[in-house]
Amino acid sequence: MNTETQTFKGVGTPATRLYGLMAIVALGWVFLGGLFFTPEDAVQGDAVRIMYVHVPTAWIAYLAFIVTGVASACWMIGKKHSMGFDRVAGASAEVGVLFMAMTLLSGSLWGRITWGTYWVWDPRLTTTAFLFVTYIGYLAVRGLGGTAQQRARRSSVIALLAVLEIPLVHFSVVLWRSLHQRATVLSPDGDIKMDGIMLFTLLFGVFGFSVLFAWLVSHRQRIMAMQDAQQTTAIDVAVAERLKEAQA
Amino acid sequence: MDLTPRTSSDNAPLAPRKRNRKWKYVAMLAVVVTAGGFIVSQFLTSAIDFYCNVDEIGQRAGCGPNRRLRVQGTVEQDSLKSGMGSTTFVLMFNNQTIDVRYNGDPGGIFQECIPVVAHGQLVGDTFEANRIEVKHSNSYSEANPDRLAQSKAEQCSLLAG
Amino acid sequence: MNHAGFIIATYGVTFGVIIGLVVYTIKQGRNLSRTVADKDKPWT
Repeated sequence: MNTETQTFKGVGTPATRLYGLMAIVALGWVFLGGLFFTPEDAVQGDAVRIMYVHVPTAWIAYLAFIVTGVASACWMIGKKHSMGFDRVAGASAEVGVLFMAMTLLSGSLWGRITWGTYWVWDPRLTTTAFLFVTYIGYLAVRGLGGTAQQRARRSSVIALLAVLEIPLVHFSVVLWRSLHQRATVLSPDGDIKMDGIMLFTLLFGVFGFSVLFAWLVSHRQRIMAMQDAQQTTAIDVAVAERLKEAQA
Repeated sequence: MDLTPRTSSDNAPLAPRKRNRKWKYVAMLAVVVTAGGFIVSQFLTSAIDFYCNVDEIGQRAGCGPNRRLRVQGTVEQDSLKSGMGSTTFVLMFNNQTIDVRYNGDPGGIFQECIPVVAHGQLVGDTFEANRIEVKHSNSYSEANPDRLAQSKAEQCSLLAG
Repeated sequence: MNHAGFIIATYGVTFGVIIGLVVYTIKQGRNLSRTVADKDKPWT
């Protein structure tokens, strides 16, 4: 039985509470502003409201997968192979997969209104779907068992390969003829073709989803740390039990 | 040495549950590989339809009659006609035009002066489409009825190239 | 609002999933922290 000190605190800290508060304020504005306070688009009408959640969730999914790749590289390069990096990689991939699912769903509904179809095997949509499936595979590989070090080793290799898909997804609209529109904010000519309050709501959405991402990854990697500790404790207890049996 | 945790009744079901969980992830991997294969095959099948701009019809290899094509251009102003269950319009790109006939209502935000992709086949001088997809540009501006007619005309002339 | 069903579905699913995940994460964190020693929770 574990007799060490245990407190009933969760996984929050003052810093994560601050992120949480900022996320609530920013996403509250995105919800209200996106639905009610921003104007209709001249061509798309009210369908443009979907953009305020579609674009930030897509950006955050990219960010999450890049964080997974960077954390995996840090785990691999680091001499100590710190498990903290592996847990950040795993937590970030979990959040990224969820945001990517939301991107695909919102994009599909937006496409039905504007393009006239829920789905088309267009380069941007296809590469995004492939990226989504790749990271589900990454999460499946993480769950296959073995020690924490084994999990980190095999998943870091996949993360470093999978992150290479992101430039392909982003530039797919430039590399191929695509139904999907090109980037508005990150356009190569630097000319942002979007009216003021629309742009403000979009960028505020990116900020809100970013702090939410930071909050989620902080919490989820701490949960993973506790799960790993729980597993280690269970093994230690089992070893102690068997040694006691052998001595008896 | 058997190190399976069996210290208390709380821990007893841990091992079988973990084994089940592992199979769940193996099944998930199998689904992922199948889904990946499906996505790639659908993309390649879709890519068989040649993607041409209006000005490439009859000019670029593969952009001719007797094969399925995807044709990209802008719906010319005052060319849209609907009736008898079909929609006809003129598609324009780089000052070249082609007549398009589609059986049905294209849906989406289909309208004049908007870029579209028509899927179908060239029959004589008309492109017989069985699918229309509406492209929207990467510019967003507030709807303003006073400016609408002017901006539509501007958009038409800009997109026509 | 035109296409209200599509727009409300997008916002409903997105914000619903986010709230669900946040609540699940907080609960899971609290439950686990009851069973793990403080030395394994360096943030406390």
